[in-house]
Amino acid sequence: MTAKIFRNSMAVGISVFLLSVALFMGVLYQYFGNQLTEELETEAWLVAKGVETMGMDYLDGLKSSSRITWIDQDGTVLYDSVADPATMKNHADREEIQEAMLGTQGTARRESATLSEKTFYVARRLEDGTVIRLASAQYTVVVLLLSMVQPLLIILVVTLILAAVLASRLSKRMIQPILALDLEHPENCDTYDELAPLLTRIRRQNDTIGRQMELMGQRRQEFEALTENMSEGFVLLDQKGHILSYNTGTLRLLGVLPPAEEANVLALDRTDAFRKSVEQVLQGVRNQCRLDRGGRCVQLLADPVFRDNQVAGAVLVLVDVTEREQGEKMRREFTANVSHELKTPLTAISGMAEIISNGMVKPEDVPGFAGDIYKESQRLIALVEDIIHLSRLDEGGTDLRREQVDLLEVARKTVQRLQPLAKQAGVTLAVAGASLVMQGVPSVLEEMVYNLCDNAVKYNHKGGTVTLSVVPGESGGEVTVADNGIGIPAEDQERVFERFYRVDKSHSKEIGGTGLGLSIVKHGAALHDARVELKSTLGEGTTVRLIFP
Amino acid sequence: MRNTFNEQLEQLNVELIKMGALCEEAISAATKAYLEADRELGQRACQLEQEIDHKERDIEGQCMKLLLRQQPVARDLRSVSAAMRMISDMERIGDQASDIAEIARDIQSNQLASQVPMEEMARQAISMVTDSVDAFVRGDLALAHSVIVQDDILDHLFLQVREELIGLIASGKNGSVCLDMLMIAKYFERIGDHACNIAQWVEYAITGQYEDD
Repeated sequence: MTAKIFRNSMAVGISVFLLSVALFMGVLYQYFGNQLTEELETEAWLVAKGVETMGMDYLDGLKSSSRITWIDQDGTVLYDSVADPATMKNHADREEIQEAMLGTQGTARRESATLSEKTFYVARRLEDGTVIRLASAQYTVVVLLLSMVQPLLIILVVTLILAAVLASRLSKRMIQPILALDLEHPENCDTYDELAPLLTRIRRQNDTIGRQMELMGQRRQEFEALTENMSEGFVLLDQKGHILSYNTGTLRLLGVLPPAEEANVLALDRTDAFRKSVEQVLQGVRNQCRLDRGGRCVQLLADPVFRDNQVAGAVLVLVDVTEREQGEKMRREFTANVSHELKTPLTAISGMAEIISNGMVKPEDVPGFAGDIYKESQRLIALVEDIIHLSRLDEGGTDLRREQVDLLEVARKTVQRLQPLAKQAGVTLAVAGASLVMQGVPSVLEEMVYNLCDNAVKYNHKGGTVTLSVVPGESGGEVTVADNGIGIPAEDQERVFERFYRVDKSHSKEIGGTGLGLSIVKHGAALHDARVELKSTLGEGTTVRLIFP
Repeated sequence: MRNTFNEQLEQLNVELIKMGALCEEAISAATKAYLEADRELGQRACQLEQEIDHKERDIEGQCMKLLLRQQPVARDLRSVSAAMRMISDMERIGDQASDIAEIARDIQSNQLASQVPMEEMARQAISMVTDSVDAFVRGDLALAHSVIVQDDILDHLFLQVREELIGLIASGKNGSVCLDMLMIAKYFERIGDHACNIAQWVEYAITGQYEDD
């Protein structure tokens, strides 16, 4: 801007300067030329008068700046103030002389040979017919200009400096308000009127940008709120593997700190499996893999995102599958256990039946074998019943009807049922407490109490006691089954509720039972929102409390 | 032009992370090969060592290209030169891991390993390598510093292992096994030193100050 203004003002300065020089030269040169002629005419008249009166003597005594020549009637030079008359040519053919000869006065102007001078001539005829001629030289315009070069240059330089200073000042002053523009708030700017349309436009664009930003921010917040509340990990990648977005679930599952902005995805995890999965997905291959993260099993689903048939990025979803894995493991174990438990009595039954059918058993022994077959099949039935119970409870007990149940009543019934068994084992069974009526599934509650008491009687010493107490609380209440039997080792206490778990595996057959009793208690308690608490000391006895809320 | 440069720098970073991951894998494979007498893992550790060597050459080439073609300055130059130093430390870690795996292959019994804090040394060394690579990935100065501090723990553990091995030899246990164990302990200690070096280079890349200065 400064340079442009400078150039412009320089151009104006120089052209004004040149024009004025030309004008002055033209006008003044003409003026001085005329003046010179007039002066010469006056002088010629004076000299002519002088020569008429005094002749050659006058010329000799005359001092003049002009050149004076006296020419005879035939053109011979009689006198010249500069050169010797004898050497001069005849002047009769000169324009001004001829003019003077005809009239009284003649003028002429001639360029000199070198063009540097212009000579004015005025000739005047005397009374005797001779002619006096005065000549005066004037410099031509070119020479005059040349002689003025120095001052002209000085003026030029001054113009340059002035133009530069003015240009920089001017541009600064012009730019100042533009620089001071507040583009964030263009409506508050007090500046050149010429900028008003621009400012209006900026204001409108500002508004549009602001609105769009707000919208984007909102969308982003919505997106983040959605992904943040996912328990799964969620990572968005661009086609070069930079992280575009992730949620806190990702960090939790992978156990890492937040990566830097736009970091490479390897900042999240750099294990072999993860690297390969990311590599593949960025080549457009959908894949999944397992990552082991500090004991937790994380499944990674990698899905490429295509745009115009090109991989534009990828979505990684991380799911914690530890529980699923554990569940699957438990189910596998359960199936294996069930098949084993079912097969054992069946093998016995089948074996005994085979011997009988082959006639290898004496008729008097058949009832004994039949008794064994009966016992084994009873065991099978009990097992299948327990499994049916469990699977019903597994489904959430939706098809079980709830009704009012008095737990004390349930306890009494159970004790009655178990009395024969207790007598056989030499264990005293007792019920204590008050009536506790609650909403529940009677068959399940009976089964739970029965299983607990059954265990208490079975795993007891001769002469031991089992106490069943029902204590109503403020809202719910609790049922406690306490015995002073053999107890459960501390390391097994956690596991006794697992299906088919037996503390003493070697004697399980003698004692009987299916290994599902406590598992049913646990599930039944969950169905009634109750809590099961087990306290046991090895050799001193076990207390199980069912706490109903 | 700058864009290409930044992309190349990032590529270098990614390669370094991969190399770090390979080192972590190699050392944990070697450790498992030793502690659980797992031959396959031992072989894996030796394979990884070769991969690490390849990676080192690759990254070195990349660094050279960057230095010659882009002539980085200031921080970028520091990252490239730190990368060049780091890879040689990582390569040494790979070598030592494969050395451990080799000794583990020849060793007849690792029953003595439970009598000295060998597992603890292994855990410490692995965690130092992991932390130093993490510090590089995240540009985490504090973590880098903690790795440098942790080195003392490993040195101390080494001395303890040494003392106990001397005791074992004196009590008439199998001398050659004890010596092999001493070698392995020394390798772990060296791995710790290299992890410490990596952490120092991370510090240098970030701050321009080298710890030994």
